[in-house]
Amino acid sequence: MMRLSIFAGISALIALAPVNAAELPEPIRQAGVLRLTVNSTYAPMEYRDPATNELVGLDIDLAGEIAKRLGVKITWSETPFAELIPSLQTRRADFIISGISDRSSRRETADFVDYLTTGPQFFVLAENAARATTDLCGKKVGTTRSTSFPIDIEKWSKQNCEAAGLAAVQYVPGENSIDVRNQLKQGRIDAAVQGSETLPYALAQETGKYRIVGEPFAKGYQGIMFRKDDAALREAITEQLAAMIADGSYKAILDKYGLGGNAVARPVMNAAPQ
Amino acid sequence: MTQPLVAIRSVSKNFGEFQALKQVSLDVYPGEVLCLIGASGSGKTTLLRCINQLISIDSGGIWVDGELLGLRERDGRLHRLTSREIARQRLKTGMVFQRFNLFPHKTALENITEGPVQVQGRNGNEARAEAMELLRRVGLEAKADAYPSQLSGGQQQRVAIARALAMKPMLMLFDEPTSALDPELVGEVLSVMKGLARSGMTMLVVTHELGFAREVADRVVYMDHGAIVESGRTADVLGAPREARTQAFLSAVI
Amino acid sequence: MRMAETLAEGFPDLSQMTVARQPHWRRWLAAAGILVILAAVGRAFAGGQIEWSYVGRFLTAKVILEGIINTMVMAVLAMAFGIALGVAVAIMRLSPNPVLKSVAAGYTWLFRGTPLILQLLLWFNLALVFPTIGIPGLWSLRAVDVMTPFLSALLGLGINQGAYTSEVIRAGMLSVDAGQYEAAQAIGMGRLRALRRIILPQAMRVVIPPLGNEFIGLVKATSLASVIQYPEVLHNAENIYYANSRVIELLIVAGLWYLLVVSILTPLQMLLERRFARGYLQAAR
Repeated sequence: MMRLSIFAGISALIALAPVNAAELPEPIRQAGVLRLTVNSTYAPMEYRDPATNELVGLDIDLAGEIAKRLGVKITWSETPFAELIPSLQTRRADFIISGISDRSSRRETADFVDYLTTGPQFFVLAENAARATTDLCGKKVGTTRSTSFPIDIEKWSKQNCEAAGLAAVQYVPGENSIDVRNQLKQGRIDAAVQGSETLPYALAQETGKYRIVGEPFAKGYQGIMFRKDDAALREAITEQLAAMIADGSYKAILDKYGLGGNAVARPVMNAAPQ
Repeated sequence: MTQPLVAIRSVSKNFGEFQALKQVSLDVYPGEVLCLIGASGSGKTTLLRCINQLISIDSGGIWVDGELLGLRERDGRLHRLTSREIARQRLKTGMVFQRFNLFPHKTALENITEGPVQVQGRNGNEARAEAMELLRRVGLEAKADAYPSQLSGGQQQRVAIARALAMKPMLMLFDEPTSALDPELVGEVLSVMKGLARSGMTMLVVTHELGFAREVADRVVYMDHGAIVESGRTADVLGAPREARTQAFLSAVI
Repeated sequence: MRMAETLAEGFPDLSQMTVARQPHWRRWLAAAGILVILAAVGRAFAGGQIEWSYVGRFLTAKVILEGIINTMVMAVLAMAFGIALGVAVAIMRLSPNPVLKSVAAGYTWLFRGTPLILQLLLWFNLALVFPTIGIPGLWSLRAVDVMTPFLSALLGLGINQGAYTSEVIRAGMLSVDAGQYEAAQAIGMGRLRALRRIILPQAMRVVIPPLGNEFIGLVKATSLASVIQYPEVLHNAENIYYANSRVIELLIVAGLWYLLVVSILTPLQMLLERRFARGYLQAAR
């Protein structure tokens, strides 16, 4: 009896005691600096403010808040999208928070802590007649070729166009989201696809020019990318993120960019379905 | 009196400030060999090049075979001819250059047939047969397929003479034809030129070879500082020159 | 009678002695040093974070082979276009006509003065400025339908190349002795015929080495057309690594193909030079 109560008491104490805050790995703590890199052409996640040329965005704010809570500074650098994963592998960056989608093909050497829902979404020029997503069957649809969207479009086309006896979507590659919108304006493509998290910003930039068609047609997550052998760092960051979700500061940052609807309930590891 | 083949009247040419030709007038008669002598810069080469319009004159007129060169007279004004018309006028004269100017990427035979075939539209086989005949005449039929780089200077100049003759000109212009040759090669070229003179070709020769002039020329013209100082029969100009400057020049070169 | 000359004393006859071979110590040392460095670099590449199995796997992948064929096709077509333009512009630049001269100078200035990638992007996005191309009232086409990646790349690369080629050819023409043009005139040739039959063939000898150089540069410049979606080898290699994240491995694949192409082109250029040196190589008698 006595042992049970002592056991219960100690368990309660352990449960109540604040969990030892997961610590940053020694080298980072010593340097007091997190080295992060972003592909700063992806509004509103990370981009250079056209007015001030400052590096701003949802990822910048999230990372900044996390770093503040851990008592370290951040040194930001910028690289092209294709260099992000190599930067992680070569340890030039401690982790990557740069609007990267969690995908199984990327999980060979890395783990994702998913922090934002995303998904490809169609949009057209405002004067385009398309109303439902199936109106886009047989049409030319463009997207950035370095993303996972071309595959998403192909899958969607098979399931929704070809399966219904309609012509398949014709995929047209673009170099980046600006290039894709240019091709839309010139009429080289009939519709374009971007991540749903980028559309509110893009549409606000050129009011009345574009119109979204339908809901995001695949479900995915944006994740913070860590090296597989970097569990300690990953846990430290995850913990802070969970705390931010709990106390509402996470939602506040998302709302600032009009992306409150893309919030996750809690940070999950490697949750994306494909 | 027969009409001159070439009539030069009051021709002037300036290169910037420098007066190369000052109101030069001269006649050249059919079948005669005329030698132009003088120091460098005297204008003799410039005058020669005005006759086939490699240089355009500033004022005056040159007639070849009765046709005014480079200009057309209409309503009392002079109008320049088009470059195509000028190119056609050049066909009346053949020129042999001091540095031969053979086309290095063509054989001797091809150098000679180039003009007749390309410019005059003659049949290739005919042109080749005539070219071989010309090579025979200058003593080089064995070198028909040689490239200029394989020929000595004297041989190249003889091919150049054949090339000019292939166009069947009325008048041959020679611009110091032996000045760039090694001394032992001068003779073969002069010999070809003598043969040409004997056959009745009208020849205008700028040269330093006074021996050639004495032997072959009908008339000699001495120029100095862009003007004709003295002209007349060879024996007179070379043997008993009237002008002091002519005497001074001749005594310096002999 | 004159005496034969005698030579002074004190200068021995060395004609029977041979010169000893030099050991060239420093050269052997330098060569050894370079081999050591190369071995170290090779070791680093072999042991680094590169997955060579991916290089092997994709080296002959269908899209990569298609890519290198597209690279070569574009390089050849753009070079042909560039040479044709270059000859025309060089002739215009050397013309006595001031209008032709200015147009040629202006073209060269504009297309050498702006980056190639900028020109490619402008051609591809021409529809932003000219939505339709054609003669108003007669026929018109949508610019986006005309400006395919292929045509945009061909125009961008060809017109840019023409500006550089025209300068090379102009230099070649200027290098031909002035007497050649005079001789051509003396047998009654007009300017264009003289250029075509006499001047340009001689200019070719001088022009082939720099043009061969330009062509090799153009083969690699085609990689810029990847940004306007022309499916040359870099574009296709990028598509592969966008999917599997093997950036360095796929870049090595593309790099090896470029090296192979240039290695074949270099001796070909030598053969071409030899053909145009006909008439010059035979020793003068």
